[in-house]
Amino acid sequence: MSAVVSLLAAALIPGGACGIFGWWLGRRGKPVEPRAALPSLLVSIPRARPEALVELLPVAAVLLRSEGGLSHANRAARMQFGESLGAVIRHPGVHAALERLAAEESIATTLELDVPVRRVVLASFQLVPAELFPPGEGENAEAHVLVILDDRSDAEAVDRMRADFVAHASHELRTPLASLVGFIETLRGPAADDPVAQQQFLAIMAAQAGRMQRLIDRLLYLSRVQRLEHTRPKSVVSVSDVVDRLMDETTFLMRDADASLTFPFSDEGIFFLGDEDQIVQVLLNLVENAVKYGGPGVDVTISLTVDADVLRFLIEDNGPGIEARHIPRLTERFYRIESHGTAQVSGTGLGLSIVKHIVDRHGGKLVIRSSVGRGTQCEVSLPLPG
Amino acid sequence: MGTDSAHTVKSYEQELTRLRALMTRMGGIVESQVAQAIAAVTEQDEQAAQAAPAQDAQVDALEREVETLSIRLLALRGPMASDLREIVAALKITGDLERIGDYASSIARRSRKFDLIDGNISLSGLSAMGRLVQDNLRRAIDAISQQDADRALEVWNSDREVDEYYTAMFRALVTYMMEDPRKITTCTHLLFIAKNLERIGDHATNIAERVYYAVTGATLPALRPRGGAALSDPDEVQLP
Repeated sequence: MSAVVSLLAAALIPGGACGIFGWWLGRRGKPVEPRAALPSLLVSIPRARPEALVELLPVAAVLLRSEGGLSHANRAARMQFGESLGAVIRHPGVHAALERLAAEESIATTLELDVPVRRVVLASFQLVPAELFPPGEGENAEAHVLVILDDRSDAEAVDRMRADFVAHASHELRTPLASLVGFIETLRGPAADDPVAQQQFLAIMAAQAGRMQRLIDRLLYLSRVQRLEHTRPKSVVSVSDVVDRLMDETTFLMRDADASLTFPFSDEGIFFLGDEDQIVQVLLNLVENAVKYGGPGVDVTISLTVDADVLRFLIEDNGPGIEARHIPRLTERFYRIESHGTAQVSGTGLGLSIVKHIVDRHGGKLVIRSSVGRGTQCEVSLPLPG
Repeated sequence: MGTDSAHTVKSYEQELTRLRALMTRMGGIVESQVAQAIAAVTEQDEQAAQAAPAQDAQVDALEREVETLSIRLLALRGPMASDLREIVAALKITGDLERIGDYASSIARRSRKFDLIDGNISLSGLSAMGRLVQDNLRRAIDAISQQDADRALEVWNSDREVDEYYTAMFRALVTYMMEDPRKITTCTHLLFIAKNLERIGDHATNIAERVYYAVTGATLPALRPRGGAALSDPDEVQLP
């Protein structure tokens, strides 16, 4: 921490112009992106403001004014925390630390957030003296506080996942397991000499075992997704690659279900920051749901719209639709709609939960609209790199 | 003269900045109260149950501070246009934040009055509803501190989801009670908690409306999008 501050101090050459480097959070809000111009500007300007140096730090760092307002958040902080940054900075723990902070010592404190994704952040505070901040016209120099944000969500997530996994697995696996045990007892006892009944029971047992296997696979996948949830994906993904993979993977599904998938799509070379496997998984889950719950002969349409900064996938079907009261709860783990006599569909109850977590990780949004008798629309919007 | 007016403008600007900082700080505390209240219920976290009401005094003090500062700004600075709207909105928003804090404390206190272990009641619905409300509140407070009308509109539009959630919780809890009268005590407490969460969502929407007005000068329609099976009042849910 003190090394960071001396780095700041060493690089401040007195005199000369200043202020070009203030992509401050202006009073009307949005930070202006620094862009690639940064290094050359640094060389050409005789005096750098501390913000410029904070910007270059490889760790997530923010400069706060002494009363707690955000003065500057560096690129690493914006990348890592994105939407959560505001909530991190106004966390009561930050204010408490600022009140206790004295010039000579640095303070570290742990901040916990629940939304938009669960995070545990270790924040270290260090006072930056007023002399380092050349005042603007008619202003007094004001001391700032440098806060280094260290995201510790990973370790906490592992613990939480473990507990969740045990709770859910034991709850959801108990039913199929109990039926397996029952059939094994029957096969050993009353049905020991009845080959016809044996075949019948073995078929049921195979189905139950298959269900348990799917459930475990899904649970493991979900816990992997949740572990990564707080790290924004950084790789560049091409929309046309995603679409190609989706088409490949749904071929059999469509044929078996007597359903059809249309995708009026023209490749305009659209790219976004994401995790390709996960995004394919999202679309695949949504298409699978549409086919599974849409009944035979359902038509599924995927469309894609690109706005200035948002990419929207829309998956529509003309199936039976979902009652409004179920819609908000669909992304809960193991939430299933009790079917009314119609085709009993077996799902793990985890598909949409996985979708939601992946979309959250990408800083996107999932919206489900449906009307009974007319069909369902799932909209996944993902932010495009601005 | 030049220096004098610069000074006046400067300290006026400083006071506005301070007003925003106070609001944001109050928002941060209220947010953490709501988080604690939800943890107190869904995780039976005793510590959180005590921590949420303990912050009430701080929220009240901040509310008074915002009021004093707002009135001072109105009286001495004669603010106009967007500044005037922002200050008036601040006066109202603190009221909403304070109410949200109260609801959070009441949820936290209630969490210690019932026992879930023998109830065998799933809390996943309530915790998902809690997350939704928390997220709306977070975005509403982001909208305050960034004076962002688009963000406010987003919150305003998504309260419908909270209403629908409340309706869903209401049905689920009443079903539990009908199945087994021994669950009535616990379910009644949970019903109040769901109702309080729904109210927190409403206040977040109010905040969004006020931020929208402060930034744009336009008011949102009096009737906002409502969920809960298109009922005007989510309490009018038909029993299962």
